[in-house]
Amino acid sequence: MQNNVLIDIKNLSMYFPITKGIIRQRKVAEIKAVDQVDLVIRRGETLGLVGESGSGKTTLGRCITQLLNPTAGEIYFEGQDLCKMKKEELRLLRLGMQIIFQDPFDSLDPRMNAFKIVAEPLLVHTKMRGSALADRIAQLLRIVGLDPNMINRYPHEFSGGQRQRLGIARALAIHPKFIVCDEPISALDVSIQAQIINLLEDLQTEFDLTYLFIAHDLSVVRHISHRIAVMYLGRIVEIANRDDMYLYAKHPYTVALLSAVPIPDPEVEATRERIIIQGDPPSPINLPPGCNFHQRCPLCIDICRREVPELREIGHDHLVACHVA
Amino acid sequence: MNPLLEVKNLKTYFHTDYGLVKAVDGISYQLSEGETLGLVGESGCGKSVGALSILSLITQPPGEIAAGEIIFQGQDLLKANPDQLRDIRGNKIAMIFQEPMTSLNPVLTIGFQIGEALELHQQMGKADARREVMRLLKMVGIPDGERRIDDYPHQFSGGMRQRVMIAMALSCNPKLLIADEPTTAVDVTIQAQLLEVIKELTSRLGTAVIIITHNLGVVARYVNRMAVMYAGRIVESGTAHDVYSKPSHPYTIGLLASVPRLDKPRTSRLVPVDGQPPNLVNLPPGCSFYPRCSFRIDRCTKERPELRTVADGHLAACWVDVR
Repeated sequence: MQNNVLIDIKNLSMYFPITKGIIRQRKVAEIKAVDQVDLVIRRGETLGLVGESGSGKTTLGRCITQLLNPTAGEIYFEGQDLCKMKKEELRLLRLGMQIIFQDPFDSLDPRMNAFKIVAEPLLVHTKMRGSALADRIAQLLRIVGLDPNMINRYPHEFSGGQRQRLGIARALAIHPKFIVCDEPISALDVSIQAQIINLLEDLQTEFDLTYLFIAHDLSVVRHISHRIAVMYLGRIVEIANRDDMYLYAKHPYTVALLSAVPIPDPEVEATRERIIIQGDPPSPINLPPGCNFHQRCPLCIDICRREVPELREIGHDHLVACHVA
Repeated sequence: MNPLLEVKNLKTYFHTDYGLVKAVDGISYQLSEGETLGLVGESGCGKSVGALSILSLITQPPGEIAAGEIIFQGQDLLKANPDQLRDIRGNKIAMIFQEPMTSLNPVLTIGFQIGEALELHQQMGKADARREVMRLLKMVGIPDGERRIDDYPHQFSGGMRQRVMIAMALSCNPKLLIADEPTTAVDVTIQAQLLEVIKELTSRLGTAVIIITHNLGVVARYVNRMAVMYAGRIVESGTAHDVYSKPSHPYTIGLLASVPRLDKPRTSRLVPVDGQPPNLVNLPPGCSFYPRCSFRIDRCTKERPELRTVADGHLAACWVDVR
């Protein structure tokens, strides 16, 4: 069982300080972007992470890849705690994990051509040079569905979907085991999104990849994920298998989120029950006591205003953090 | 009854360094009073440019409205002089833009920005306008309007800013509201709130709405009639019911098949639309969708299909009968 686990996150918190003053900076408050998160990512699965902007899903992805140093907690990657590692050890372990970023326009250096972009991780991490390098890059471009003749083109000469393919080729270059996909399709046109989703699925089967798939589009997340975790204001409020999440969601926030997604069929929409939650998420600087969601929650009872609900198991692999559900 | 708005063969071109971009290349549609029309398409298909052309909000040069008529309440807006246009903009036709942060002025209070239109178009005094702004803020669901009227845009969340935009757009009781991707920049739960506000208020005020979006779900939920655009042209139009249940253009069929659906069992694989959207500078002769189309025949490369009736009130621009 233990062997099944690729990444084990224990009690992870990431707080960003808010400071005042120029010379003597004082910490006046902190933003709890990720707050005491426990999460397990199993080998070979796609874990979907959904939540609204500001819920901490990107921060969580960046903590796992150690692009951010978490405030507290442990992240075990194949049994080794990333947070306690020295730089050099970490560099070697990073070979195993990569990120695909949201915006294919900002995440590629406009002054590097396709060859240089895909070659960079190989030059840093391997001794591959010369014709072996050129062959590997041509192979990578073919894998992601780009024509190797495009190798001398610059990012602006590619369309959005092609740029995202380039980002995927760069992530695949050093044979990672784990890839954080941070909203990889939200910047793409509808007709292109399905192409990239299919590509990611094919690559997962071919190279035994594990994905953390961060997105806010729930229909896409259900399609690609094996398990889904829902975040709200830095905390995970529900985790379940993909079908359980859509059929038996228990947390009132998950239920509202599912109901808010419009379905591309007027017939279905006409008869569908809609739960529209009122208000905006509270500021992450001044979180209310008790459950983060209680001010917007239709089911709120007394205890919700006082005590933070813990994640508890309510079914097979189905965890929910709610006093009422 | 005459339609409220009639767009006839509108062509909006841009002269760029790379050549002539035909962003909108001959679109025609009608809108009756109180009706909701959805314009759907991907980025670069001309849906926003088409809407901006209605109010002559195209920067000229490089833009140019090369041909067409836009008849609003019997008047051709493309022939209107600046004074007449000013009387219409924000008064009879109002707009909500995609990005509420960049379309509000950061150095003016929201009370001033909403009140401005009231003072200009309704000749209200300062005190009356202020009272009216408070009423509007309450109407769009901003709690505590009295206190927030003197706040600046940065003090509002994204969803609240978009509510301010809605209040501003509806302040003069317009006949037509153009909402250009009104919910693209906000989260799903906020999107549901905003669309509900727009729908509720416009139906109460009898305002006709054009919703421009790339989200097929939003159209299905909120729209009576829709037009699907591709590469500057309308390729299919009809009631939302007809278009979704019997899509009649290969592009619409492809789009509907490519999105995963929450209400259906998960399919093992998505069916994408192959290829890339075309480069508008060098559109091939014939049908622009030809290179990506799975129904194509020889005729498609030579002749461009015009919109033709495939069923009552349902038009599609395709040589092949794909229904």
